[in-house]
Amino acid sequence: MSAKAKTKAEEKVPLPPQTDSVAASEVSLYRNILKIKQDHELENLGISFFDAETTIQWSYNADHYFHAASTMKLAVLLGVMRQVERGELSLESPVHVRNRFTSIVNQEPFMLDLARDADPNVYGHLGKTLTVRELAYWMITLSSNLATNLLIDVIGVQTIQLALDELDIDGVRILRGVEDQAAFHAGLNNEVTANGLLKLLRVVADHKAYSRKASEEMLSIMLEQQYRSGIPAGLPKAARVAHKTGNISTVHHDAGIVYLDGREPYVLVILTQFSAEAGRGTAVADVSRDIFSTLAGIRYE
Amino acid sequence: MSEVKEPTAIKVVDAFDLDDELRTILKPGEMVRDAQGRRHRLPRYFYEVPSHDVATGLRLTQHFGLNEFVLVDLKEAPRLQQFPRYVPCAVRLLAFFLEQFRAAAGASLHIAVNGGYRSPAHKLSANATPHMWGTAADIYRVGGSILRTKEAIDKYNEMAEDVSDDVRVLPYGHTTGNNADDHVHVDLGYITMIPREISEDRMEVPQEARPRFAFEERRRNDRRGRAGLTAVPEAEVLRTED
Repeated sequence: MSAKAKTKAEEKVPLPPQTDSVAASEVSLYRNILKIKQDHELENLGISFFDAETTIQWSYNADHYFHAASTMKLAVLLGVMRQVERGELSLESPVHVRNRFTSIVNQEPFMLDLARDADPNVYGHLGKTLTVRELAYWMITLSSNLATNLLIDVIGVQTIQLALDELDIDGVRILRGVEDQAAFHAGLNNEVTANGLLKLLRVVADHKAYSRKASEEMLSIMLEQQYRSGIPAGLPKAARVAHKTGNISTVHHDAGIVYLDGREPYVLVILTQFSAEAGRGTAVADVSRDIFSTLAGIRYE
Repeated sequence: MSEVKEPTAIKVVDAFDLDDELRTILKPGEMVRDAQGRRHRLPRYFYEVPSHDVATGLRLTQHFGLNEFVLVDLKEAPRLQQFPRYVPCAVRLLAFFLEQFRAAAGASLHIAVNGGYRSPAHKLSANATPHMWGTAADIYRVGGSILRTKEAIDKYNEMAEDVSDDVRVLPYGHTTGNNADDHVHVDLGYITMIPREISEDRMEVPQEARPRFAFEERRRNDRRGRAGLTAVPEAEVLRTED
């Protein structure tokens, strides 16, 4: 980015009030975020967080819709738990593991590309069964596309949207499963905003995702997340993060609940979009680090 | 001294003798329509499979266990996801055919979940299919190869047809014509098997409540001059591998 453009961006940042630590921190954070966006040549950046310790809620471009990528799997998990809580589904129910799905656009069947799915734990069961609980686990912890589509087949995409509506979570639009190319070409994609995912995660963090038990089930799975290059990479090693990443060629997201000893958790959503040429960098981790530093440094006057 | 296990008997039941819930699920003797509108009468006599162990241990043929024909997921009625499970007696004929198919393929055949018996209450049973008679199998893997290409499915379809003129296979992509098929479907049609113990002049009314048992092992042993399964003198049994 040119020096001129950088200067222009920095000029937009208000000066922090000298007597207000919180306001000063927020302004400082804003400046840092803009710098990260510039340094990583991000086309778009959306951030939203809520800190239960300080009750600070802060956002940047948080109502902008991004391609959801795999963060949509949080909504699928919510839909699954809705059905479980209603007694319409058991986490122990067996599900036939089958690589054959139906497009929402033309009802044509399609298969997932085995090479693109990261999770052999599910593919290894083709023709057999996994339980709903196992599928939910692999869907979140290893972002299994196959597990995701199987669960969507079980509960129906309408149930997912219904769950979001029931819990007043706007900013998360779920239309289809993963790798539905016909839907993709028709412009039908799952979309999220930073604020939307923040609402979803706050419901879970506050144990209001249908019930305490259902919320704890979700949290226990999310805490087992195995991709840790996003939010956790910007935190001390002792931090525990219940989160879900999302990656496709031009987006990298992470949305999670950060647990640190001695304080209440904070909920953080970071959505990034970049050009295919620029590629994915460490922007999410850098934002996470800055937010952690900001929250750690805040002192009330 | 090693413990001598008694052979496990597997009952043949008249579905009219089962409880209301099971009769509602299995619909014995009811007429149902296939996708072409043809009517078929559902089976009435079932093997009652008491446990997973029995299902796993009981061999219908040398290479096919009963458990392989009753694998279902949550699309099946909840009652039939639990033991005792029920599978139409004609499943033995299917196993016999699959044994020949296996020999022709020169490799093991693996039946998919929901690819064996499906009750009329199964979510894939919108229309009558031979799966509801226990005479159809969806094979998703042959040996170590998972079937997902047209070439592989066409090859094994042809092989299955060569085993018997009475078998039907479904062409690749039979559901929609699209290229996303994942199994070989073979079926023997709508065959109803009536155990020898059943008197057909009473087909329209429930049989007496006396339990009947599958009989093949004892008969085979008798024929070969071996001791029968004397541990269950009145009951003729299918023997599990125990």
